[in-house]
Amino acid sequence: MKETEEDLSNLTFNHAELLARVDNDRELLYDLLAIFKEVFPRQLQALGEAVESGDGKLVAVAAHTLKGMLLNLAAGQAATAAGRLEQLGRSGETSGFQDAFAAFEKDAIRLLLQLDACMAEVHG
Amino acid sequence: MRILIADDELMSLRLLQKTLERAGYEVTAVENGRLAAEQLCPAEGPRLALLDWVMPELDGPGVCREVRKRKEQSYIYMVLLTSKESKGDVVAGLESGADDYLTKPFDPEELKARLRTGLRILNLEDRLVEAREQMRFQATHDGLTTLWNRGVIMDLLGRELDRSRREHVSTSILMCDLDHFKSVNDTYGHLAGDDVLRETAKRLLSSVRSYDFVGRYGGEEFLVVLNNCNPAYALARAEEIRKAIAHFPVQTSSGPVSATMSLGLLLSHEWGSLPLEDLLKQADAALYAAKAAGRNCVKVAIPKIVPGGPDLQVHEPLRLRR
Repeated sequence: MKETEEDLSNLTFNHAELLARVDNDRELLYDLLAIFKEVFPRQLQALGEAVESGDGKLVAVAAHTLKGMLLNLAAGQAATAAGRLEQLGRSGETSGFQDAFAAFEKDAIRLLLQLDACMAEVHG
Repeated sequence: MRILIADDELMSLRLLQKTLERAGYEVTAVENGRLAAEQLCPAEGPRLALLDWVMPELDGPGVCREVRKRKEQSYIYMVLLTSKESKGDVVAGLESGADDYLTKPFDPEELKARLRTGLRILNLEDRLVEAREQMRFQATHDGLTTLWNRGVIMDLLGRELDRSRREHVSTSILMCDLDHFKSVNDTYGHLAGDDVLRETAKRLLSSVRSYDFVGRYGGEEFLVVLNNCNPAYALARAEEIRKAIAHFPVQTSSGPVSATMSLGLLLSHEWGSLPLEDLLKQADAALYAAKAAGRNCVKVAIPKIVPGGPDLQVHEPLRLRR
């Protein structure tokens, strides 16, 4: 069980890929993480509100934005979860919103912890 | 090279901006499609653009459509950024006027390579436009003097006459001919003759207003069209031209060469609705009268009304202004 969790954790955030994307510019990496930390809570809240409202279009738009942010951070797993919500929103499958949102939140929380550690490392 | 990037997602915007600045681009970053269109549509806007597909106010394809509505302006190379991957979306994006698309998250090297493709296309367009402008210039200007060529000056004269008739004002036609030009060629050679023609063109241009027209009508013959001017001004201008040619010798490759010019002047309002060809004949007749009067002078074509006869006839030009 512990091994499986570690594997998933590795998939949450691909540090090497992100470094390559910023051309090993650690200052830029720090900037991107700081922007993410600032913007992400607002976007997450917007997605939560959209899910609560049951409005598929709003869910799709909010999830699409989050997916883009997460892909830029090489956070593939959370991006996939956001993509699932986007698809549900587009197809209007409101019955799947809550479960998909819960799965996304779970991924997001793990990702945020990893990003905190990464920021501390970059800043140090 | 200036480039516009438009993305409502701040991380993506920052990442793009930094990547492109490192690659040497001058970046303008905006956060929605409406601002992107406002930046791109003016003539002096950036010619390279990276546009996110999904944006508030106006999406990426919407920006492409707005930009492609512009006419007669430089081409703008636009790349759509999208996390969409289905074939239908790509087709819709390209149909909107985008030149290319990139899937997010982008690979920096691929991004730069695709923008280099865009730069190649823009450079190609610049070369084509330059070649077209050169051809246009060659088709409308005299190769030696760079004045309007005969076809264009005739066309400009025709339009000016139409306008002056509509507005009840006068257009003046000056038929100008260098005196004894053949002997310049015979004595100093054709290269010196060419120098005289080029310098004559310069002096003609500097003797008229910026909105008057000067063209090379034939070998050593020039046609000057003075727009909307009264008789006194036209006569003064003709005399000014004559002096400008006669007063200083032309510096040629064979040394200084003196030149003089004879001019025939016609004021259109005195000739009713006589066709352009007939007006030119009358101006030409005035020019020949100036030649007959000893050259280096100005003669004016004067219409003569004959009772019971045709509308207008010309008698011998009378006025001599020296």
